[in-house]
Amino acid sequence: MSLLKVENISKSFKTLQVLYNVSLEVKPGERHVIIGPNGAGKTTLFNCITNLLPIDSGSIYLDGKEISKLSPHHLVHLGMSRTFQKNNLFGDLTVEENLHLALVAKKSYRYNIFSPLASRSDIKKETNRILDQWEISSRRHIKVKNLSYGEQRLLEVLLAMASNPKILLLDEPTSGMSPAETAQTSEMIQKLPRSIALVVIEHDMEVVFAIADRITVLHHGEVILSGSPEEVRNNEMVKEIYFGGGAKQHA
Amino acid sequence: MKKIFIYTVLLILLVLAMPLVLSDFGINLATEIYIMSIFAMSLGLIMGYAGMVSLGHAGFFGIGAYTVAVIGQYVSNSYLLLLISVVISGLTALITGVVFIRTSKFYFLMITLAFGQLLYVLFWQLKPWTGGADGMSVSAILNLGFGEILSPNAFYYVMGVAFIIAYILLRLFVESPAGKITKGIMENEARMSALGYNVRVYKLLAYTLSGALAGFAGSLYSYFNVFVSPDLSSWTFSGQVMVMVIIGGVGTLFGPAIGASVFICLQNFISTYTERWPMIMGAILVILVLIGKGGIIHWLRYFKDIIFLRKQTDEGAPQNQVKKEEVVN
Ligand SMILES: Nc1ncnc2c1ncn2[C@@H]1O[C@H](COP(=O)(O)OP(=O)(O)O)[C@@H](O)[C@H]1O
Ligand SMILES: [Mg+2]
Repeated sequence: MSLLKVENISKSFKTLQVLYNVSLEVKPGERHVIIGPNGAGKTTLFNCITNLLPIDSGSIYLDGKEISKLSPHHLVHLGMSRTFQKNNLFGDLTVEENLHLALVAKKSYRYNIFSPLASRSDIKKETNRILDQWEISSRRHIKVKNLSYGEQRLLEVLLAMASNPKILLLDEPTSGMSPAETAQTSEMIQKLPRSIALVVIEHDMEVVFAIADRITVLHHGEVILSGSPEEVRNNEMVKEIYFGGGAKQHA
Repeated sequence: MKKIFIYTVLLILLVLAMPLVLSDFGINLATEIYIMSIFAMSLGLIMGYAGMVSLGHAGFFGIGAYTVAVIGQYVSNSYLLLLISVVISGLTALITGVVFIRTSKFYFLMITLAFGQLLYVLFWQLKPWTGGADGMSVSAILNLGFGEILSPNAFYYVMGVAFIIAYILLRLFVESPAGKITKGIMENEARMSALGYNVRVYKLLAYTLSGALAGFAGSLYSYFNVFVSPDLSSWTFSGQVMVMVIIGGVGTLFGPAIGASVFICLQNFISTYTERWPMIMGAILVILVLIGKGGIIHWLRYFKDIIFLRKQTDEGAPQNQVKKEEVVN
């Protein structure tokens, strides 16, 4: 059974229709990459799936449960988490404090108003584990706005992972990165455990083919193809739109 | 945390020791300052930790004050009466908050202003119960089980202790998970929502706590002043408390208390010299806001750092300790 199932969703902004009957399926643990030129509607698709934007029609299922009317925070508790194309962090807080904020979301004491958060040992332990795992312990006390862009991008993913999701939506995790940072991020994405399904919007074709099990191509708000990396690589229409004559600047 | 603990102990000692040096006039002034500090801290909580700027906070102060004045005619137990005041103002905040917190920043300002004015008019109109525009005197007498509180000294200690308790409760809140989350929502609401937080619950929680605390301050004021009038809920009073918060320091807990102290001292000092005190106050406050970036509490920290640094170097201790020290308030 598919973990996430998007069925014929459409979305318009006033007179501008951005998504036309988009469907998508993601199996547990799958690495599903979404490609398409700028303005194709990829971010809008994420916003619809996570209900930051209401859909006009269609349905969305997570684990067989219809979720298109559930609020964004509710979806996190059902196991779906996301990152943003533009870094969306707490700049004046330290790396550690950012992680604390992300980790408390699933704790039963998140409504506690009396006992200090700083005294919670489970949060400290989990924070240390994450910092060690990604080798950023030395950065823990640094304010997030003072991190390098690449480090911020990484933290963006780590915050989304803090809720221990079943499915993680990554919106252009490598955008704006240097080639070295891109390679690092690609490696990091490949290292994520298979217990998490990934839906990744990505432009860098090297990264796309390094991580993808399946690729969905979105063009002017329509899915023109969803298939294996091989199928996508060999599809004439995709070649034309995407790899063809001078279309590189789209990518 | 250790620093916060030390500051709290120092605060308690200060409150206890002040009557040793103060005149009767000073004692009275300090008592009023404690009450206004609680009020200012309650507004400071939503302004500085939840990003909600209210222009109607005096509405809750009025509810607390009138509760003691009106219900105090029938209920004499002070604890019960204070509890009723806090519950009524808290519930009012909870119910109105459900609607208010959905609005954007500007509309929140407007709708809270309307809320305050509504109460002002209500206290004015309900003449049979509230005395209308003339106000009413308060018959309830504060008695916390140690006899009736009547002397200035007794009032001083009661309000001082109330202030310390309010400060400690607020401190606990802002350090708690819910407090940290509320602050996070103020910084970046969309991200907190995407992290799994029901942001409305936290905003409503902060607004309710703030309203309840403002009501508590109002009920204390009722006992202290033995007279209440609709002015306690006027928008000018809401504006005054907002000024206290801003000159003291938004985003800190103690800043609003400092702002309240400065405001009330200035007001008393200047009004003894001239009838035109509101104008002079206005000018001074504008200057304070303009030059006091971030509020008076930040000047105090700055001076403290200078003194602290000098001491450290005198003793030959490493200087970097000063830098590492986290800023508390
Ligand atoms: N909130 C919005 N209001 C109006 N138009 C929008 C909004 N968000 C996106 N769009 C438009 O929808 C189209 C798709 O945008 P987007 O989903 O961000 O594309 P992509 O992520 O594939 O680059 C663009 O034409 C964009 O201008
Ligand atoms: Mg996009």
